[in-house]
Amino acid sequence: MRSWSGPREAKALVVLASLLALGGCAGESPDRGITLVFKHARILGPTDPIPTLLREFEASHPGVRVKSESLPWTSDEQHQFYAINLEGGSPGFDVMMLDVIWVPEFARAGWLLDLSPFLAADETAPFFPSAVAAATYDGRVWALPWNMNVGMLYYRADLLARHGLSPPDTWEELVSQVRRIRAAERDPRLEGYLWQGKQYEGMVVNVLEAFWANGTRVLAEDGRLFPEPDQAAEALAFLRRLIETGVSPEWMTAADEELSRRAFGDGQAIFLRNWPYALDLFEAPNSRVRGKVGIAPLPRHARAAASGGSTGGSHLGISRRTAQPALALALVRFLTSARAQRAMVSGAALYPSRQAVYHDSDLARSHPMLPRIHAMMLAGRPRPVTPYYLVLSTTVQPEFSAVLVGLKSPQRAIRDGRRRLEHFLVSLR
Amino acid sequence: MTSGQRASRRRGLLLVAPALTVLALLTGYPALYVLWLSLQHRIPVFGIAEFAGLAHYWFLAQDPRFWNAAGTTGLFTLASVLLELVLGVLVALALYARPRGRRLGFSLLLLAWAMPAVVTAKLFEWLYHPAAGLVNVVLVGRALNWLGDPVLALPAVILADVWRTMPFVAILAYARLLTIPSELYEAAQVDGASRLGMLRYITLPLLRQILMIAVLFRTLDAVRAFDLMFVLTGGGPANTTETLTVYAYRGLFQMLQLGFGSAIGVIVFVLVMTVAWAYLRLLRREGLAA
Amino acid sequence: MKPLVRAIPDGLVVLGLIVYAVPFFWQLLTSFKPEAELLRLPPLLPTRLTLDHYRVVLEHSVIPRALANSLGIASLTTLGALVLGIPAAYAIARFPLPGKSLLLLAIVGSTAFPQIATVSPLYLILRFLGLRDTWLALVLAHTSFALPLTIWLLAGFIREIPPALEESAAVDGASTTQTLGQVVLPLLAPGLASTALLTFLFSWNEFLFAYTFTATEASRTVPVALALFPGVYEVPWGDIAAASMLASLPPILIVLVFQRHLVRGLLAGALRE
Repeated sequence: MRSWSGPREAKALVVLASLLALGGCAGESPDRGITLVFKHARILGPTDPIPTLLREFEASHPGVRVKSESLPWTSDEQHQFYAINLEGGSPGFDVMMLDVIWVPEFARAGWLLDLSPFLAADETAPFFPSAVAAATYDGRVWALPWNMNVGMLYYRADLLARHGLSPPDTWEELVSQVRRIRAAERDPRLEGYLWQGKQYEGMVVNVLEAFWANGTRVLAEDGRLFPEPDQAAEALAFLRRLIETGVSPEWMTAADEELSRRAFGDGQAIFLRNWPYALDLFEAPNSRVRGKVGIAPLPRHARAAASGGSTGGSHLGISRRTAQPALALALVRFLTSARAQRAMVSGAALYPSRQAVYHDSDLARSHPMLPRIHAMMLAGRPRPVTPYYLVLSTTVQPEFSAVLVGLKSPQRAIRDGRRRLEHFLVSLR
Repeated sequence: MTSGQRASRRRGLLLVAPALTVLALLTGYPALYVLWLSLQHRIPVFGIAEFAGLAHYWFLAQDPRFWNAAGTTGLFTLASVLLELVLGVLVALALYARPRGRRLGFSLLLLAWAMPAVVTAKLFEWLYHPAAGLVNVVLVGRALNWLGDPVLALPAVILADVWRTMPFVAILAYARLLTIPSELYEAAQVDGASRLGMLRYITLPLLRQILMIAVLFRTLDAVRAFDLMFVLTGGGPANTTETLTVYAYRGLFQMLQLGFGSAIGVIVFVLVMTVAWAYLRLLRREGLAA
Repeated sequence: MKPLVRAIPDGLVVLGLIVYAVPFFWQLLTSFKPEAELLRLPPLLPTRLTLDHYRVVLEHSVIPRALANSLGIASLTTLGALVLGIPAAYAIARFPLPGKSLLLLAIVGSTAFPQIATVSPLYLILRFLGLRDTWLALVLAHTSFALPLTIWLLAGFIREIPPALEESAAVDGASTTQTLGQVVLPLLAPGLASTALLTFLFSWNEFLFAYTFTATEASRTVPVALALFPGVYEVPWGDIAAASMLASLPPILIVLVFQRHLVRGLLAGALRE
């Protein structure tokens, strides 16, 4: 496909490059069959259900081969890969796995196939409404939700039970529980609350959840930025105080999902904020916290209403320049079907985007927490659904990070963030 | 002009034309294009290309993050160049005195200089590891978070850069030392000059010119430095190692603002050219440059 | 002379060299250290040496492909810069060109161009030409700084050659091309070697353009592959160390085998002021 070890003459290179740009690669395979290319992130976990599912699809569609190709590791690299390959010319893949925050951006950029004309009237009904909303732009549907995520609070049920405590309802309660348990346990290595504070998208998620827990947000419906700056500053100050007072360790500002998960999984913390995938890892046979972990919705701040965690996950979209739109849609429908999603839960801890799967009787035995996770997902909130989400996130990341590290006051960070965002978004209104 | 001279001129132009055309396309045209870009709100992903005049420059003038980046660039440049200068001269003197270790010394120096900056970054990232890094284990004894601490990160980056680029100064100084006639030292010794005195009144003054050239090159490189801090810290923690180049890059390809990032790029360009021009004037005064 | 510089004691010099060499050799050692012993220090030295990291890098990573890409791109850049640069340098050194000093200034000036300023327009241009993720994109981008450097260095080297031989060749009726090819080039050989080595090295080490214009292993060069080396849960320091060693192979080779030429190129660049 794109593999060529470079002929000597630069002229030949230009010719070859133009041919490749024109020809594209998702087309005829040597044996006159049809090849669909499916790009997705590598599946972490004990088993990968994707190959089996793809073989099943091929069996029910004779003459069709599905080639699965993996994306780079991190979300930023994946985004850069897509951005470089989707602009102009044939990208060489048909179906792509997209982070939920990219869908409006890719739709606006004209890289996705509009699915609305092909979908039945109620085809999106079985999915989570927030997931469908995240895939809707300009009144049209551009992708189908594939797997769903929501930010949850993990806690050491054994430690809480030992001190007669139930999962905290407010953040203030959580802090006092941490103090109490640590004073009693007297284990210097036991941390209080772990989350993600490294300067990346995951940190923005944590900050957004903190905003929502305090009754404010980043983007208002009318497009205003930081409409309640004082409450936002308060939420940021709370996160910084967690580190200052030692409720969270210093290395929180360098922690991502995996770093925090591992520490909690080694039994070194009382509370953890993370996505549902961590649950399967905590309940694995050789896990040190097996049977000791409970889940609960994220707390709120004392004087605000309950807000829920941030939803996330991935969608399946079709490249607008695909040569096989009907087949690509069939593949997307297959992978988002209830059967496929059931296989994905058991195989790879990828939580379904179809609501019904959460109450499946077969899964109830191996995954007893499914109904509770389902409830949390329904109560969760999506990050701002806008094509400019990535611009927003990358612009505020350094501001939030400066607060968490203690270099800037929350008020100044919000002021600077708003000023910069307004400068960037002025051409987009 | 004779016809022979005219023919000669034509031939010269013919010889130089292909290279000049390529340069005009690859360097000249982009230089003008980036200027034009800096005057626009440009987001290629969404096909947005809107004239903005001097809006970006006006924003940057009042942007605390820009001034922070400028300060970081200045601090990095000053500290790096100073350390490279001092260490480079010391190394050159040391190597000059010991003919036996010279070949090995040169190989080591050149190796450090010739390696990709990314390799140096990975090297030092491992050395700075809080738990398993040599620096903490052997020198400090505590698990200092070099690359994650807002105060320690910039010195850590500077150290890595000095390690990598000091050889440039050392080799230049060494080459100059070779040309100093030994009679000068012998005569001074006869007059009873001390070792330090000879260093101060003979060696260093004679090294002055080559060192000024070295400082010119090193300053230009330090102002443009990108690879090392981008890979080592990404500009963090909290922008404490974010130089102008890193800020520009993030503006371009993370915040997807091609116009805004280009404006910062233009500023770096003007800065580099100003430094180069100022230095060349200085060197010309010293009779070094053409 | 010796008494002068013995102002610095021998022991200190040896210590200094050892300390200076430590980063490199520590990385070398790390690349052979078993995974389990990497994060547990002391002891500093491993109980045994292993090739596991190299095996992982060579069999399961994109580094081998990246090495091929880097080799091809650096070679093509050097070739292109020489093909275009030799005639231009010859013209600048030997011919009366109009506005020569301005021309020289422009060429020298473009070596000082900050890459961060040209990356955004180049990005748009390459995108427009449909050259994303290709060797050609990087060859073009690298040529933008390799070509002026080449011209500048070669012009200086040519000027060191006494023009007498060329003049006698002209008297004998040789054309410009013949003079250039048969008289000048052989004498220029050492200078050519130095210039080619420096150009190859700069192209091999280049990161900013390579990071921006490549998307997959089709065109990813070694510095980018190293910077983006994947780590699943934790950073694979041993694998990264092995990859770093592999990434440094051409520079190591050039330094050890072609040291003289490299130094001459370095000095020429600095002294050509």
